[in-house]
Amino acid sequence: MIDLFLHAAILMTTPILLAAIGGLVNRIGGIVNLGLESMMLAGALVAVEVSSATGSVSLALVAAAAIGALVGLAMTLVITRLRANEIIVGLGFSVAVAGLVRFLLKSAYGVSGTYSPPGVAMLPRIDIPVLDSVPILGAVFSRQDPLTWLAWALVPVVGFALARTRWGLRLRATGAAETTVRAVGLAPLTIRDASTVFAGALAGLAGAHLSIGVVGLFNEGITGGRGFIALAAFYFGRSSPARTALGALLFGFFDAAQIRLQGHGVPAELVQTLPYIIVIVVLTGLGVADRRAARERAL
Amino acid sequence: MISDARVEVRLGARQLTRKFGSVVANDRVDFSVAPGTIHAVVGGNGAGKSTLMRILQGVDSPDAGSVILDDQPVRLTGPADAYARGIGMVHQEFMLAPPLTLLENLILAREPVVRGGLIDWRAAQAEADRLAKIAGVEIDWRRRVADSPVHVRQILEILRLLYRGADVLILDEPTAVLAPLQIDELLRLMRKLKAEGRTIVFISHKLEEVMSVADAITVMRAGRVVTSTTPDKTSREALTQAVIGDAALEPRVEPRARRPGAPVFVAHGLVGVDALGVKRLGPIDLDICSGEILGVAGVAGNGQDELVECAAGLAAPAAGEIAFAGEDMTRASTARFRAAGVGYLSADRAQEGLCLTASIRDNFVAGRERDPAFSRFGVLRLAAIAERAQRAMDRLSVRYGRLADPAGSLSGGNQQRLAFARELERDPKLLVAAQPTRGVDIGGTAFIHARIAALRDRGAAILLISESLDEILALSDRVVVLYNGRIVGKLGREEASVERVGRMMLGQEAA
Amino acid sequence: MTRAFSSAPLGRALQAAAPFVLAVAIGAIVLAATGHEPLSVYRLMIVEAFGDERRIAATLTAATPLLLTGLAAAIAFRAGIFNVGAEGCFYLGGMAAAIVGYALSDWPGALSIPLALLAASLVGGVWLIGPGLLRARFGVDEVVTTLMLNFIAIDLTSWLVNGPLLARGSANSATPPIGASAELPRLLPPSTLHLGFLISLALVIGYGFWSRISVAGFRSRLVGLNPRFSRAVGIEPMRVFLSMMVASGVIGGLAGGIHTLGLVHRFVAGFSPGYGFTGVAIALLARNSAIGVALAAILFGALSSAGANIQLFSNVPIEIVEILQGAVMIFAVAQLGFGWARRRAAA
Repeated sequence: MIDLFLHAAILMTTPILLAAIGGLVNRIGGIVNLGLESMMLAGALVAVEVSSATGSVSLALVAAAAIGALVGLAMTLVITRLRANEIIVGLGFSVAVAGLVRFLLKSAYGVSGTYSPPGVAMLPRIDIPVLDSVPILGAVFSRQDPLTWLAWALVPVVGFALARTRWGLRLRATGAAETTVRAVGLAPLTIRDASTVFAGALAGLAGAHLSIGVVGLFNEGITGGRGFIALAAFYFGRSSPARTALGALLFGFFDAAQIRLQGHGVPAELVQTLPYIIVIVVLTGLGVADRRAARERAL
Repeated sequence: MISDARVEVRLGARQLTRKFGSVVANDRVDFSVAPGTIHAVVGGNGAGKSTLMRILQGVDSPDAGSVILDDQPVRLTGPADAYARGIGMVHQEFMLAPPLTLLENLILAREPVVRGGLIDWRAAQAEADRLAKIAGVEIDWRRRVADSPVHVRQILEILRLLYRGADVLILDEPTAVLAPLQIDELLRLMRKLKAEGRTIVFISHKLEEVMSVADAITVMRAGRVVTSTTPDKTSREALTQAVIGDAALEPRVEPRARRPGAPVFVAHGLVGVDALGVKRLGPIDLDICSGEILGVAGVAGNGQDELVECAAGLAAPAAGEIAFAGEDMTRASTARFRAAGVGYLSADRAQEGLCLTASIRDNFVAGRERDPAFSRFGVLRLAAIAERAQRAMDRLSVRYGRLADPAGSLSGGNQQRLAFARELERDPKLLVAAQPTRGVDIGGTAFIHARIAALRDRGAAILLISESLDEILALSDRVVVLYNGRIVGKLGREEASVERVGRMMLGQEAA
Repeated sequence: MTRAFSSAPLGRALQAAAPFVLAVAIGAIVLAATGHEPLSVYRLMIVEAFGDERRIAATLTAATPLLLTGLAAAIAFRAGIFNVGAEGCFYLGGMAAAIVGYALSDWPGALSIPLALLAASLVGGVWLIGPGLLRARFGVDEVVTTLMLNFIAIDLTSWLVNGPLLARGSANSATPPIGASAELPRLLPPSTLHLGFLISLALVIGYGFWSRISVAGFRSRLVGLNPRFSRAVGIEPMRVFLSMMVASGVIGGLAGGIHTLGLVHRFVAGFSPGYGFTGVAIALLARNSAIGVALAAILFGALSSAGANIQLFSNVPIEIVEILQGAVMIFAVAQLGFGWARRRAAA
């Protein structure tokens, strides 16, 4: 029972974590990405299609990352080059891509809502021989798919890259002080674009995880607002990948829990509001702290 | 150590001219800085120093004449070009990323890497320590810029220029933001760098610093070089005279006819801080009576902005009290200041004095829309507003197309008249006039001066803040001089000569 | 910062239409790429939206909620607040009206209708006090808080409708129907066009006058154009931010209430297909003007009512409407004009 729950929670965390890490990197570069949902959706559809057509999971993942990156590129160019408000553009992409995906389902595949082509190759599960039979540890570590491992590997890798590499330093500087970055001779907008493309690729993979990692088909509601939950996770994590992962894990647990809690009279809908409430609380805390710091400086 | 010892002029200008419209910002400027020296550039506001420095740094280019580098005339294609030739500049606004550490800011864009983009932090730290040692300063490189005091940020900016290989450092009023002890530290650092063979161009208003640190001094006034000298061949008095120039005064307005009335505005122990929380003003005591114009003279950045904000009710003072018409207003809102009869002419006409995207009519009535003359039961009386606006525009001879045109369609001088018309219409008891004629032509200036005097003669108190000494002297019944945020002089109209006020502005004389 | 002031009406009209034209072009590409004939689809859409009285009535019915969500967004945007929370207010207002309309089933409509709409407005207004205060007091970005509140409102109403308020014997997630007396009267039976359309249109017209000739409308426009200037002349921007945020919530809640009383007659899960977000697109397209809101709302109403029909007759999926709507949002904030949206581009 507890094993099943833990395994489900980890599984549910993966797409949120992937998208959240992308969003985190994007935000550190200076863009709050509200288009993650659209990139996930595109990735989920393309993964199913490529997986079914080629039977290759690797190709499906590459294609999902590529389409996510492409949507990210389109979005970032509107934001950085046409200097459009990132929030409205992000929402616009969420609306337009959701429409486009459903339009294509009907127009190209003649289906409404759910697209389930034959022969979808699913993400493999990685068994760890000895651990497998250990309770709890086995549920957590064994029989997870490669994207889950990737997502968790990215947490320290991204943390390290942000802190210790040239790109990390330049990205952080871009998000914090665009004019400074320009003054020292770098191109902040290009750096920012790269971060959005990276976020798009990870969100595309997150979508692939939902479609070819969990259910093996595509449904128009498959992302279920996880792009916005990812937003909640990286707001929760501020600029730390580890804290972001903690947030994603928390929301993954909520996700897994609500299915179970329903049987016990705890309304799933109320559990679902928690990530959003947390975002507001975190933002409020930051706002209050900023004001206090400004007041203290003035004295 | 970097430049060729045989070079006579490391950086300079020959017959350099730069015009902006009809304004000649640099007029046939000749300027030469010898390698390994500290060269001070001195001059009042609008003397053309900043334009010259922008050109020397490749940000702007001359209309005629040329920049000289290592004795040769060159064309700089941009700041990157100037950097590549070893010239770097520290601007008044720092170019730093606050959340990053000092070390990260130092190496940004020139990171030492091992492989795969991995930063070699050991090499970075070693280089940082080496630079700090050259500069003779102690720096905790792991601190964030946001947590570092302003003088450390400035040293970081200078060290970053060294890190990037600059051997000519242009410092734009570097001491303006520093406290006296920090100024000493900066001057020591400059001497140290000179000893290392670097060349420094140093812009300042403060003559004692200039006299103590510079090897050569260039004084600019009205776009021209008026004096090129060395500290041993000149004196503070001579420099002051050169900065101020011959007293070619504007005609003064008539002095007040009556004795001034009771104090309208009284500030006691007033302390003002800037947006970063740095103390820029005070503590000062100040009072302004009805029927008088109090002029505040001073070089820009000596606390005037903070005084304006406190007097107009835009920011509460960090300490001290403000009373207006006998009522305590220390913590009052801007709206209460306005309601009590405070008028305000902002120095920032485009952003604060007017709303350029709103119509002339809306700019005229803004803030008074609730007045019964302009609205009834929450509904605007558009005809009445238009009529009043038109009359006010005519009275101030504003040239405009239609009242519905955006304020941004007016010329600069007419924009100022519009802002002035709005404030006059309120019949203020106190008018805070900050740079009331900035960017206004001679005729417009005389017109606005006459109106300010007329307002005073009707019994209003005027607080006049201006960077133009001419304007202060033309209008004021009394003059106070701000220097480093403190009042260093209080003079009556008769005592206030160009020489005396000019000296006080440069910190040369205390009254 | 200085903007070119194009005073030519034609130029301004072109500028205002540009986002929509671009969106239509994108839609045409999508249609062509999927084997449809864009021109004939668009022509068919025009006919389906405005072809005869019945179709026009359907278009206006579809435009009714959009008039108010567009207005809710416009009144906030005009004061410089990026409130995207109308969707949540719409849900909550719809729920509140459904509860009151059901509870007061026996009351005459002259009482129950105003009370239900009042409840809807109140809930919407109260819902946005929080983000309004957070923005005014602590500078907390209202876009994110109002967006999050949308999700919370949707989940909250979904819980209510699945649990405490679920109609007995109903398999769907729906509240019991409101009393017949609380239903808004139909204007052109058998079409579903209802009195709510006229109420909404009247409010948009009222907004047009309010924004031009009232003191409050004047102040909120100045604050939206330049808060620093407004403060210097004695208008407190923070107060305007808060009051316009609440006004926006009131209108958003009212929109949901009218939708309940006029069309749905109960609250159901998935009450709004994104009317609040469409309202954002409408306000952006309309540049907050009353006439613009009315025209854009009818335009989007036409798209959705025509979209439903062409799906039946020409196998073009109705989602073409969503594609157009999203594209309008994107292009409306891109640098094709729009000074006030720029303030955030740098932030």
